[in-house]
Amino acid sequence: MSASNESNPGFVQVKYNDEIVRMFTLATIIWAAVAFLVGIIIALQMAVWQLNFNTSWLTFGRLRPLHTNAALFAFAGNAIFAGIYHSTQRLLKTRLYSDVLGKLHFWGWQFIIVLAAVTLPLGLSQGKEYAELEWPIDIAVVLIWVVFAINFFGTLLKRNEKHMYVSIWFYIATIITVALLYIVNAISLPISFFKSYIVFAGIQDALVQWWYGHNAVAFFLTTPFLGLMYYYMPKAANRPIFSYRLSVMHFWSLIFLYIWAGPHHLLNTALPEWLQTMGIVFSVMLWAPSWGGAVNGILTLRGSWNLLRTDPIIKFLVAAITFYAMGTFEGPLLSVKAVNSLGHYTDWIVGHVHLGTLGWNGFLTFAMVYYIAPRLWKTELYSKKLAEIHFWIGILGILFYYISMLAAGITQGLMWRAVDANGHLVYPDFVETVIRIVPLFFFRAIGGVLFMAGFVLLLFNVYKTIKQAPKDLADEIVQVKGVPVAVNHSERGHRRLEGMAAAFTILALIAILAGSIIEVVPTLSISKYVKTENKVEPFTPLELAGRNIYIKEGCFTCHSQMIRTIHSEELRYGAASTIEESMYDRPFQWGSKRTGPDLARLGKKYPDLWHYMHMENPRAVIKESIMPAYPWLISSKVDFGNLGKTISLFKKLGVPYSDKDVAGAITSAKTQALGIAARLKDQGVKEDVSDKKIVALIAYLQALGQKGEK
Amino acid sequence: MKQQALAHFADIYLIAIAFFLFLSVFIGYIFWVYRKGSKKHYDYLSQLPLQEEKRT
Repeated sequence: MSASNESNPGFVQVKYNDEIVRMFTLATIIWAAVAFLVGIIIALQMAVWQLNFNTSWLTFGRLRPLHTNAALFAFAGNAIFAGIYHSTQRLLKTRLYSDVLGKLHFWGWQFIIVLAAVTLPLGLSQGKEYAELEWPIDIAVVLIWVVFAINFFGTLLKRNEKHMYVSIWFYIATIITVALLYIVNAISLPISFFKSYIVFAGIQDALVQWWYGHNAVAFFLTTPFLGLMYYYMPKAANRPIFSYRLSVMHFWSLIFLYIWAGPHHLLNTALPEWLQTMGIVFSVMLWAPSWGGAVNGILTLRGSWNLLRTDPIIKFLVAAITFYAMGTFEGPLLSVKAVNSLGHYTDWIVGHVHLGTLGWNGFLTFAMVYYIAPRLWKTELYSKKLAEIHFWIGILGILFYYISMLAAGITQGLMWRAVDANGHLVYPDFVETVIRIVPLFFFRAIGGVLFMAGFVLLLFNVYKTIKQAPKDLADEIVQVKGVPVAVNHSERGHRRLEGMAAAFTILALIAILAGSIIEVVPTLSISKYVKTENKVEPFTPLELAGRNIYIKEGCFTCHSQMIRTIHSEELRYGAASTIEESMYDRPFQWGSKRTGPDLARLGKKYPDLWHYMHMENPRAVIKESIMPAYPWLISSKVDFGNLGKTISLFKKLGVPYSDKDVAGAITSAKTQALGIAARLKDQGVKEDVSDKKIVALIAYLQALGQKGEK
Repeated sequence: MKQQALAHFADIYLIAIAFFLFLSVFIGYIFWVYRKGSKKHYDYLSQLPLQEEKRT
């Protein structure tokens, strides 16, 4: 599409593909509405347990993955694609490599999001945070990502600008790293179209999961957005970035260090000490490049600070970078083991995450939308005033959200660890620590509503802007100052240029592989860490069926299964969890949040009837519980159909089941279920529940912590 | 082979070597970024987003 212009040397004619940018921008806005709305619903459910309306697909455990996936892949994902397609074409002075691939990328991605929005509330989940999607969707994600990569690198190869601006670097790092992370963390073996099991077990799964999980933050919510910052900040301020040299150091230090930081999600757990220390050290080092980048972004405004008063786009950008600085200050702080022992599993972490997503990703995206909308719809922004109001309501919303969660997290963390002079827990009942913070859940919901209210103003503003746009939005031919590769370079020179992009990509790949390999590979040879003399019994078929229900209902979104090596924790829950105890767990269920207590040693603590009543109505046994009721577990039937396949798969993966276990899986499950149902009947349950989900779940819950050496 | 390699994993000398390797790469690219005569190049790069397109 580009050609040299004979009459105007040094200029090339380009026709940008702006339609694809408009499409992704609109998708960003639409999915943002969904992500924010589901966020508000689940925030309210934390405050008012009745709000699941006793309906399975409206319950927190199923909606929470929907919220995180919508925010991450739908909202942030579409925003990244819009910004990358917009800025890359302009920075490389060429049209997108393929319009068709662009369309395929767009519709493929939206289709994936719709599939996610249907399957997650139905409880089809792999039970790993931010990686819940089942295997057919995983494959679709990878395919569409490859389409995106081909389109991006194709554009890179036909560029009319010899040099790659730093934003392009960040995009390249994003594309290769996300592909690597997503594929490795999704390696699973299917037993049916809707169910698969991850190949990694226990500690391996934990480590791979958080290597993925933390780098989803790094390479999906940070590096692409930094690339966008390096483009839109100079654009909006109309001056170059504060220091280009600093951006080079920012890039290499950031991608090299980030990849190691995952283990800070597993501090004070059964994870080997050296990995914990490594995670802490690299997390703390991340302070430097993160702040280097933030300072670089903000100081771009040097000499034109007045824009901060007059231009809402600059306001959003500066606030976004400030939130980035706050988030990346807090992150390393929370990675310090002592701070982590207080903050982990509490709402502080939830607050921390939202500081980043609402403040950094949200505000940066809003700035981008306000920048793109008038330009690509060839009109003026409908109302600057509304954008201004959006900014202030949004800020207020984030502050409400963050401060209430910080207060809730620290309060609850301190209550969990409070021990009196006699060495007893001051708050032995977990629910006491919950009641104390419930009012803060309301404040958090108010924060969410405010943030959403601001967003509605954006929605209206963009709608009005598009309404006043001219009908004809055809791509126009523009002239850009550039180096038309085809004219100024010999064939050899051209190839050398391509080689530069390839060499760069390989260097970036090396930078992210270094940490990945050193961190993940040793743990994959699990024998080094597992003491084989500590025998662990695998779950019975019925318990596995129960475990599937546990995962399906998203119990892990509120309950951990990892007693940390902290004194108050051992007082509350029993001996610290060992690596061996979860060595057959696929997926691992160590968890990341305790809205309810840890369940690692729940088994045999209460009679079966207690669990039955608790699932039917938690308030029947714990008066002040905020857990929703799960009545459908008592009325709907349990599916034993795939148990044989499951056990056989586990056997292949090294779990010590015999051939007899495989053949007799269903019979064994039914026998055990009859036993539990009979006991429940003796204790006063009227109906026969031997074929209902509840018996399987009870079997699993009663087995927790019972399989290791006693 | 793999097990033997892993046995040396926590070896303090290896860690020290890795540390100096990383540190020297870091110092190396700081020098590279501030190399003589690079100012013009970086000024050019930093202007890339600001090059305005002309309607034809």
